[in-house]
Amino acid sequence: MRAVGVVVILAVAIALSISMLIARDAVTSKINTVKASTGNTITVSPKGFFGFNGGGTPLKASAIDALLSIKDVTAVQESLSEELTSSKTSLTSPTPAGQLGSQFGFGGSNNSSGGGFGGLSSGTTFTIPVRVIGTNSPGNALVGGANGGGTEKLTSGTSFSPTSTSDVAIVGSTLASTNKLTVGSTFTAWGTKITVVGIFNASSTFTDSSVLMPLATVQKLADSSGEVTSATVVVNSVNNVAAVDKAVTKKLGSVADVTSTQATTEAALAPLNSVKTISTYTLIGSVIGAAIILLLSMLMIVRERRREVGVLKALGAPNKTIIGQFISESTTFTILGAVVGLVVGILISSPITSALVSASGGSTSTNTGGFVRRTGGAGFTGGGSGFTPPTGGFAARTGGNFHFGGVTNTLTQLHTSASWSTLAFALIAAVVIAAVGSTVAAGTITRIRPAEVLRSE
Amino acid sequence: MLKVENLDKTFRTGAGDVHAVQNVSFEAKDGEVVAILGASGSGKSTLLSLLGLLDAPDRGSIDIDGTQLANLDSAGRTKYRSSQVGFVFQQFNLIPNLNARENVKLALEFAHWPKDDRDARANELLSMVGLDASKADRRPAKLSGGEQQRVAIARAFAAQPHLILADEPTGSLDKATGQKIVDLLREVANTQRATVLVVTHDEKIAKQADRRFEIEDGTLKEIA
Repeated sequence: MRAVGVVVILAVAIALSISMLIARDAVTSKINTVKASTGNTITVSPKGFFGFNGGGTPLKASAIDALLSIKDVTAVQESLSEELTSSKTSLTSPTPAGQLGSQFGFGGSNNSSGGGFGGLSSGTTFTIPVRVIGTNSPGNALVGGANGGGTEKLTSGTSFSPTSTSDVAIVGSTLASTNKLTVGSTFTAWGTKITVVGIFNASSTFTDSSVLMPLATVQKLADSSGEVTSATVVVNSVNNVAAVDKAVTKKLGSVADVTSTQATTEAALAPLNSVKTISTYTLIGSVIGAAIILLLSMLMIVRERRREVGVLKALGAPNKTIIGQFISESTTFTILGAVVGLVVGILISSPITSALVSASGGSTSTNTGGFVRRTGGAGFTGGGSGFTPPTGGFAARTGGNFHFGGVTNTLTQLHTSASWSTLAFALIAAVVIAAVGSTVAAGTITRIRPAEVLRSE
Repeated sequence: MLKVENLDKTFRTGAGDVHAVQNVSFEAKDGEVVAILGASGSGKSTLLSLLGLLDAPDRGSIDIDGTQLANLDSAGRTKYRSSQVGFVFQQFNLIPNLNARENVKLALEFAHWPKDDRDARANELLSMVGLDASKADRRPAKLSGGEQQRVAIARAFAAQPHLILADEPTGSLDKATGQKIVDLLREVANTQRATVLVVTHDEKIAKQADRRFEIEDGTLKEIA
C-alpha cells in the first residue's frame, strides 16, 4: 500500500509538471505565432503625414538611410508615393469613385487644375488618381502596411533594379487591364514616357491599381529629389522590433511617426506571458515537489528497513549492493509514477491550459494585430465598393498612419500537444527525481552500522 | 580455529565510558560449540559484534585459521563477513519479502557462490535443517518461529563459514523448539566443521555446549 501511495503521489506531481510543460509549450507557441504574424517591420512616415489629405513634410532619404546603422536592422525600404491626377498621366484609375468617394469628394478632380483635396464643388465630377510608388525595394514595395501591405508577384515581364533611374514601371494587374497595358506598353507620367516592364498582382484591387517605379525615377520626375514619404525598417527578429522601434524614434526625432504593431501585440499577449510564467514556476515547483516526495519516501522506507539493511550488512552485503537495491526501488517508483503521470498529464493539459488562460484574464477572442492608430488620422480613399484590406497589413491611404494588422488571433484557442521534447522532459525529470531520492537513500544506508542495529535487539 | 587475545571495547557515553569488553582472550576449535552466558548489558552482544567484525575493537586481535582480522579494511571486513562468518539472531532477521530459499541464496550471493549451484545448495541446507521442501517457497511471515530459525541457521551455514555467531538463538522460541534448534546447531557445526559461539542466558542451553564462558562487565571467564 505504501508503494502504491508513493507512486500515486509521484504520478500526481509528474502529471502536474507535464501538464504545465504542455501548457507552457502551447502558450509559447501561440506567442511566437502571434509575434511572427505581426511581422518584423516598422513603418516610418513623416510626422503628421496624412496621406494626400495633407500634413507632414517629406522625410529626407539621407536620414532614412542612416537607420541601417541601428543594431538589428537588416534593411530599410524607402518609398515615395505620389498620386497622378488625369492632368499628369495618361492612365485611368480602374477604381470608380463610388458613393463614398462622391460623398467625401477628395482624391482629385479632373476639372481642377491641381487636383486638390478640399472636396468638390457642386456639379463637378472627379476620378480617383492613380497611385505611383517609387521604391528602392521592388518585390517588397508593399510590405509594411504603409503602401498597402502584401507582396507584389510578377505575373509577366521583369522588375527593375533597386537603384534604377530608368523611366520604367511595373503596374498592378487591375490598372494594366483597365488601361490595356502589357509588357512593352508605354504611358505618360509627369509628361514623360514610361515603359511598362512588368505586371504584378498583389491579390488586392487597391494595390493592383498602383504603379511601382524606381525610387530615383519618381524623385526626379516629381521634383522630389532626396525625399521619401514612407520607409519600412526590417528587423532581424520579431523579438527586437520593440527595441528598434525605440531606436528609430530616437534617431528621427520629431520629424517622423514610427509605428509597429509590437506594442499592441505585447499588451495583447500579456495574459499569455503571465500563463507562461505561472506554468514555468509550477513546472519547476512540481518537479522539485516530486523529488522531495520521493526523497522523503525513500528516507522513510530506509528508516523503516534499517534493521533489514543492518542484517544485509552483517551477512556481508557490500554498501553498493544494498544501495543498488534501493535505487532500483526508487527508480521503479519513479518510472511507474512517470508513466501514469505522463498519461494523466497529457489528458489534463488541455483543460488546465484553458483554465490558466481564462484565469489570467485572456479574452476569448482578441485581435492582436489590431487597428493601430498613431499620430495622424483616419481616412478612406473613396471607391465604389469601399476597400478590401489585404492580408498582412493595410494602409487606408498612402502614407497614412493606419495599420490594420490583419492578424486576428483567438488567444484562448491554444493547441496543446505532447511533443518528443515533452516526453524527453518526463524522462529527464524522472531520472532527476529518482537520482535525488536514491542519493539520499544511499547516504542514509551508508551511515547505518550493523552493530548498532543488532545491539538494539 | 578461533583465537582471541586481549580484546577491548569501550563506548563513550554522556554518563561516562562503558567498558563493554575488557581484555577478553579465548580459543575455540573447529566443530566446537562454545556457550557464552551473561546478563543483559554484560557485553556479550558487543563481543559477538567484534568477532563478527560488525564493530572494531579498541585493542586486541582476532585470528581465524592464522588470518588476523582486526586490521582488515572495510572491504576486507565485508568479504570476511560474507564468507567466514554466519549469524543467527534471536529475532531470526530473515528478509521479509524473500521466501525461505531466497533468504538462504542471499548469503550465497554475497559470498559469490557460483550462480548455477545456489539453488541446489539452498535446497540441501533447508533439507539439512529439516524444513519441508513445500515450505521453501514460503515467505517468513508464513513460517512458524522454529521454522524461521531453521531457515536462519541454513542461511548462516550456507557459505560454509568457519565461525557461527548465534545471539540468543532460542530466545524467541518455546522450550521444545529451542532444544531442537540447539541440537540442529550442534549437528550442523559437526557436519560443516565450524566453530559455533552461542550467546545465551539460558543455563540449560549453555550446559549442552562443549565449553562455557561467562561474561560480566565485559570480562570473560571460562566456567566448568
